[in-house]
Amino acid sequence: MKPEWNQWAREFKEQYPGANSALMPLLHRIQAEEGWLSDETIHDVATLFDLPESYVESVASFYSLFFRNQVGKKVVHVCVGLSCALAGSDRLMENLEHRLGIKEGQTTADGEYTLLEAECLAACNQAPVVQVNLRYFEGLDPERPDVLLESSKSPEEEVKP
Amino acid sequence: MIRLTIDGQEVTVPEGTMIVDAAARLGVDVPVYCYHQALGPLGACRMCLVQVEKMPKLVTGCTTAVTEGMVVHTKGGAVEKGRKGVLEFLLINHPLDCPVCDKGGECYLQDYTFEYGPGRGRFQEPKIQKVKNGPINDLVLIDQERCVLCQRCVRFMGDYVGEEQLLLEGRGVETVVTTVDHQPATSQFTGNVIDLCPVGALLSAPYYHKGRPWNIDRHSTVCPHCPVGCSSLATTRESHIIRLEGRPVPDRDWGWLCDRGRFGYDFGYHADRIADSWVKERATSAAQATRDVAEWMQQTNAQYGPGSIGFVMGGQFTAEEAHLIKKFAHDVAQSDNVAVMRNVRGYLPAALNGTFQDLTEADTVVFVGVDPYEAVPVVHLKLRDRLRHFSQLKVLGVGPRRLTRDTMPGRDYLVASQDEAVFFARALAAAAKDGPGVQTLVDSVRDYVLPVSDADIEAFGQALLDAEHLSLLWDGENAAMAEVLAVLAGLREKPTAVLPTFGPVNWRGYEQAGIDPRYDNVEELLNKTRTGEIRMLVLWGADLTRDLPDRQLAEQALAKADYVVSAQVVPPLDMPYIDALLPVATWGEVEGTYVNMEGRLSIGAAGVQPPGQARPTRTYVANWGRLFRQDFGLDDEWDPFDSAQGDLISRAGNNHGPAQAVPRPGTRDASQEWTIIEGDWVMENGMPSEILEPRETEFVARVSPEDAARLGIGEHGGYVEAQTAGGTVMIGVQADPAIVERTLWIPRGSRHDWAQHLEGLVKLTRPEEVPSV
Repeated sequence: MKPEWNQWAREFKEQYPGANSALMPLLHRIQAEEGWLSDETIHDVATLFDLPESYVESVASFYSLFFRNQVGKKVVHVCVGLSCALAGSDRLMENLEHRLGIKEGQTTADGEYTLLEAECLAACNQAPVVQVNLRYFEGLDPERPDVLLESSKSPEEEVKP
Repeated sequence: MIRLTIDGQEVTVPEGTMIVDAAARLGVDVPVYCYHQALGPLGACRMCLVQVEKMPKLVTGCTTAVTEGMVVHTKGGAVEKGRKGVLEFLLINHPLDCPVCDKGGECYLQDYTFEYGPGRGRFQEPKIQKVKNGPINDLVLIDQERCVLCQRCVRFMGDYVGEEQLLLEGRGVETVVTTVDHQPATSQFTGNVIDLCPVGALLSAPYYHKGRPWNIDRHSTVCPHCPVGCSSLATTRESHIIRLEGRPVPDRDWGWLCDRGRFGYDFGYHADRIADSWVKERATSAAQATRDVAEWMQQTNAQYGPGSIGFVMGGQFTAEEAHLIKKFAHDVAQSDNVAVMRNVRGYLPAALNGTFQDLTEADTVVFVGVDPYEAVPVVHLKLRDRLRHFSQLKVLGVGPRRLTRDTMPGRDYLVASQDEAVFFARALAAAAKDGPGVQTLVDSVRDYVLPVSDADIEAFGQALLDAEHLSLLWDGENAAMAEVLAVLAGLREKPTAVLPTFGPVNWRGYEQAGIDPRYDNVEELLNKTRTGEIRMLVLWGADLTRDLPDRQLAEQALAKADYVVSAQVVPPLDMPYIDALLPVATWGEVEGTYVNMEGRLSIGAAGVQPPGQARPTRTYVANWGRLFRQDFGLDDEWDPFDSAQGDLISRAGNNHGPAQAVPRPGTRDASQEWTIIEGDWVMENGMPSEILEPRETEFVARVSPEDAARLGIGEHGGYVEAQTAGGTVMIGVQADPAIVERTLWIPRGSRHDWAQHLEGLVKLTRPEEVPSV
């Protein structure tokens, strides 16, 4: 446990009526720093808020944007919702897998990219859609995944969760 | 009270009742998965959809409380369509593997689908595959594909038991029930989730693929492992008990069992079970052993006259069997020396004996020497239930170790076992000095030094008097407590109930059969044996060296007796002294009455054959009667229900005489560094179980975490050397935060040989070399 977590936990507890409601902000904050939530983190957060570990795990595992495994610097979410599927998201995924040399759910050996599926990202009019560190890339050509990887290189444009 | 109409019938129910429960009153069945009365409403499964007039949509009957004049329809087109839809969704990813599912035939998913569901689903895509038969622990399996995510199991373990070891992981169709960190669940109440699971997701590991509903029988019985006597159902197949389930009793009992009871049913066919007759250490026929014993009895009587044979009842026999032994002793063996085996010295008169109802109404609960979680686990659950409804429940522990715990928070007063009665007496004297009997009670202990401050003593006394409904659990270790409890009950004008947690499990039943269950009685009987007045001992389930607190007396009596006859289920520690070992039928093999710690009579059914030569008590006494050429009327009219009010034993009589002073405890030997304390632990009650082996530990003794660290004992326990008056023994020890420093806790009646040889404990030391386990 990092010493500052204690401080954050106290702050969030003051902001929210109960530990249950302060849980998600703290998980976000910790993930923003650590990149992901390890088993130890879950245990520590449970201790900080005096919540059952099972409850913290249930919450963390419910939301797909809480990462329970280590992820790369850039997390690529390929939308596999209906509109994107019709617009060739499966082909886009295949090309990305080929280009990065990993399968969906995996992280590149250099720790740069993690490739994940996402359920509908609610931008169907611009299908197929991909998020790179939550930033939207719309109306992509499934055969040209490089565009996506190159244009996402400027870190200052990224949106932190 | 609220009046409403359900399916055209009017019903009146208390405010706050949910529609499903109101409907149940009328016998109208509303299907539910997630809802369970003990757990409260949730509304997760949507199975209980009903139509309420003036409400625009169908509502869930389990989360909608009744209102005045409400008109509910549980049938009709809209409801049927709703249920059909819910079931179709529930079945989308269900594997439909009923033919190989243990719950097939006992499954609400099958039943409701048959009754309300669509004939076929429209979903044609492949089903999601998940873990099948993964472990929750060694005793419970989970099939995540069959799960309908009703959350009963998660909520039971978390909210009800308070041990959050199960959780829902993931979201949507990927959601599964699993354990924290995917580690085995360690709670002793995990088996209940099998009963709670409405579908085939949570399964009993030892029952896995052992039977189908059409090749099993189910017998209504009583769990024999501790004095709670939980109502249960035994599943039998081909003369084996292969499963035990909880049996809820409406308005009284939820049907919870602890894992010890639920999975410890296999002692009847355990490898250790005695199935042969032994005379003078040689196996012989049952008929020969019976003849030999009869001959010894005749000889003894002829030589020494009436009263020269002593009978001691122990074990898990029925009240009827105790009656047979007593009757045989009196009518044929001409002896009234009949006693009940005891492992503590306390006795509770029936007049003070409370019921479990007292736990559900209590505002203050006092644990006297007993940790119910370990000794009578389901009582712990009953108290958890009370705590859910009444969060101000005051829990107080009085004893040589901490008796409250995280899931039953309260205040502990740490006093030695021998000081418990003094502590109570002084507390009463401080809070009610003019109360009847109080001054007499405290007369010889006024200046006795207690390790508790005067202010705390008075506060405790005040708490005892102020309680609106006081319930006490008592382990019987400190015999003088009986006196204190009687005075306390007399002082208070409000309900005061005591629940004895000591054994043998059916001692009240033996008492109903006319055998005096007080310690003095068995002590006197053995003293007479020691002095030669009694020449022969017949031990019916009693194991003297294991259970008698005065081990020396036990050994001397056994050595002195000309003949020792012992009828047992598993080999007793008395073995070296025994002349004839008789295999006897036990729980599940004989029908009869059990009286539990609340004084309630229940019938345990007979469902299986005793193994080998094991025969019922009745057969033994009938044969002996015949060999004595004496017809002693086996079929007399005694009936344990005779003296009962309903199914409770009579609380009348036992009028308490004038109060007597609490005796001053002897001074402790200050040179002794360590104190040995004993406690009941249902896991160590002496009945072997192969199924429960994964839960067993060699390290049954306990010390404080500080001492454990000093002794170099790891997380799961280890061996230490104990230097005692009789030499050095290796003992298995683990750390327990409930134990105070320089104290060694051992389970009462442990079958570990070393537990019997700790007299005069000088010190514990780290062994040179830890033997590998």
